[in-house]
Amino acid sequence: MLKRLVNRQCISLHRSYSTAPKPTLQLVAELRKLTETSISKAREALSATNNDVSAALSWLQNDLAESGAKKAAKVQGRVAKEGLIGVCILSGGTGHSSGLGGIRAAMVELNCETDFVGRNELFGKLVSDIAHTAAYISEPVDSEKLFAPCPLDILNDSPLLPSDASRHDPYQSSISTAIRDTIAKVGENISLRRAITFIKDPFPPSSPYGLRVANYVHGAVSADLSQGRMSSLVAVGLKSTNLGALLQSKDFRTDLGVLERSVARQIVGMGAQTIRSDSSNESTSDALYAQPFMMYPQSPEGASVEDVLRIWGREHGLEGGEEPGVEIVDFVRWQVGEHIEPS
Amino acid sequence: MLRSPHAFLKNTTWSTNPSLVSSRAFFSTRTAQAHRPSWSSTSRRNALAHASRRHYAEAAGKFSRDKPHMNIGTIGHVDHGKTTLTAAITKILAQKGGAKFTDYSQIDKAPEEKARGITINSSHVEYETDSRHYGHIDCPGHADYIKNMITGAAQMDGAIIVVSATDGQMPQTREHLLLARQVGIKKLVVFVNKVDQIDDPEMLELVDMEMRELLSTYNFDGDETPIITGSALAALEGRDKEIGADKIEALVKACDEWLDLPARDLEKPFLMPVEDVFSISGRGTVATGRVERGSAIKGNEVEIIGLGSTLKTTLTGIEMFHKELDRGEAGDNMGALLRGVKREQIKRGQVIAQPGSIKAVKKFQAQVYVLTKDEGGRYTPFMSNYRPQLFLRTADITVGLSFPEGTPDPEEKMVMPGDNVELVCDLVHDVAAEVGSRFTLREGGKTVGTGLVTKIL
Repeated sequence: MLKRLVNRQCISLHRSYSTAPKPTLQLVAELRKLTETSISKAREALSATNNDVSAALSWLQNDLAESGAKKAAKVQGRVAKEGLIGVCILSGGTGHSSGLGGIRAAMVELNCETDFVGRNELFGKLVSDIAHTAAYISEPVDSEKLFAPCPLDILNDSPLLPSDASRHDPYQSSISTAIRDTIAKVGENISLRRAITFIKDPFPPSSPYGLRVANYVHGAVSADLSQGRMSSLVAVGLKSTNLGALLQSKDFRTDLGVLERSVARQIVGMGAQTIRSDSSNESTSDALYAQPFMMYPQSPEGASVEDVLRIWGREHGLEGGEEPGVEIVDFVRWQVGEHIEPS
Repeated sequence: MLRSPHAFLKNTTWSTNPSLVSSRAFFSTRTAQAHRPSWSSTSRRNALAHASRRHYAEAAGKFSRDKPHMNIGTIGHVDHGKTTLTAAITKILAQKGGAKFTDYSQIDKAPEEKARGITINSSHVEYETDSRHYGHIDCPGHADYIKNMITGAAQMDGAIIVVSATDGQMPQTREHLLLARQVGIKKLVVFVNKVDQIDDPEMLELVDMEMRELLSTYNFDGDETPIITGSALAALEGRDKEIGADKIEALVKACDEWLDLPARDLEKPFLMPVEDVFSISGRGTVATGRVERGSAIKGNEVEIIGLGSTLKTTLTGIEMFHKELDRGEAGDNMGALLRGVKREQIKRGQVIAQPGSIKAVKKFQAQVYVLTKDEGGRYTPFMSNYRPQLFLRTADITVGLSFPEGTPDPEEKMVMPGDNVELVCDLVHDVAAEVGSRFTLREGGKTVGTGLVTKIL
């Protein structure tokens, strides 16, 4: 692999420059292909290691700790309000194809300075790996709230666990190291702003209750649709004495998926703040249940989210007695850079 | 601008008595039109062009309009010295009287401005070289450049990519080049900045080589693209002339020589959108409008295109306010007398154009910016099959919007106010359009989006 790279470099050098190619130039180019490090750093590494590429690679890794930190310190004060929100759902909850019925999901926001970096593949991968890590390492918390903020200091210190294990980099000991390395490569301030997790153990199989997670990400900049500029994470509750049997049906699961995604989209699109309006005096446009359910394809004209959920539950054989058969238990809606002051 | 219609009528050879009524109608409509808020993309853009020209003129009072104008932008990493370079260019050219020196702090702000109702962050300076007049744009982000392209606020005809010699190209340089491609830039000039900060000049060869390779990867001419190496800061501080001022001059020269001037409106094939139609008895049918591009003379063959019919005819007369003319050209408000065309055969929304220069289309793909509610747009998202009105030149047509083929889950995809999105526009009637045509989308009396045709389907 290395040899091939060197050969290719030689050929392109010959093509561009008729004068004799300098060996160090090729090596610098090669090192940059491998690491995306800056020209001056690549050169420094090679001269420190006597033009030995593999030694230069480890020199660079060791140096990153220092120079990356220096670079990070230099850019630290700069406003970073672009970036991406990434979502990772390892296990989607009751009746979901992924996982054993429990819920394991996370949503993170990583900021950078310009949307050019936000669109870059390096940055996108970092977002998806951090979301994956957060979903992976978090434990269920004993609290009333389903969504728990993931403490950033713990997340920053935890090892980066890429969703694709082959991307695992032994040098990147932690998320903060990975962020620092990316700062060194793109030269912009990058900061992990917030992270939440939704972790829940499965209900016993006989339980009439079910809990699922739904999400919608808006404004994806790449083929990866799990990251974008806006996102919602929604906890959907189900109740039926017949739940186990209902979830066996593929049609039921498909319909439920459409409904859940519509709710998640509604929350992002219509900017809901709460599930129900607290008092009748307040404006209802912020309350999800009172909004017309515009984002559900089969929604009857003017029907509210609450109406549609009730009808859907009835039509699909979910009976909750006093309680609705399907309901939105909680949700979070995020937008990149919201509430960050310009300077 | 509008003289008394009667003065006109006295002079015009068309005004025989029976035609008086209709001719007067023609003029009162015109007057009304001048006061009517105009939505058509053409008039908006023209208004804007005037506004920005005025803005430039204010900036440096004395420039002549004789030199060809083009807009260029600077694209590059935040720390690579875009702003310093821009300041240095104005400084060096100011010494020759071709610019007003604009310092770093004035450029760096990138103030918010409104173009066609849309907020764009960008800063503008202008300068003049021996052969050209440049408008120079700098935006902080990708989204701003895209908005710039869609609105045509300052269409970039070329760009300078700025790369620091110490870092070389960075991962996001790919994004910079992709953007340049997307906004339709065909040629670039590269400025390798901060050469005074490297101790081994050999490394410049590497920057050069890598840039050429990357340019070729993104379909720019990697072999021929001029790459200038220098120090913008040195030029700005007036030291080290050989890497400072000299290199800025070399850069400007490279822009003059390498970047292609956009075709001037006047040189393009004739096109006039039809605003109004009148029949003047004894003479025939007259269509009025503002010539968008090109020129036409009496006796030219023309085509009337759009809204379901295409008709070939001859331009038998050109009339402007109070005179009969031999020639009408871009920017003129004129009346076109058309041979053998009945009043009912031509209507507002069609165009009169040089035959074969533009086609009527019913379906195209477009890059659309959806206005936020702060910009006066929609409050809520929309989904596939949304049907607003599309205004293109003087045409007003219902359009069905959908997502391009290959979009994952199109029935579950939504578009929110503030989004830049690629959409397929399916029109109820055909209209004269081509790649690069701009339009607006309106619904219930407000502008909800603005777009640029990117592909005819």
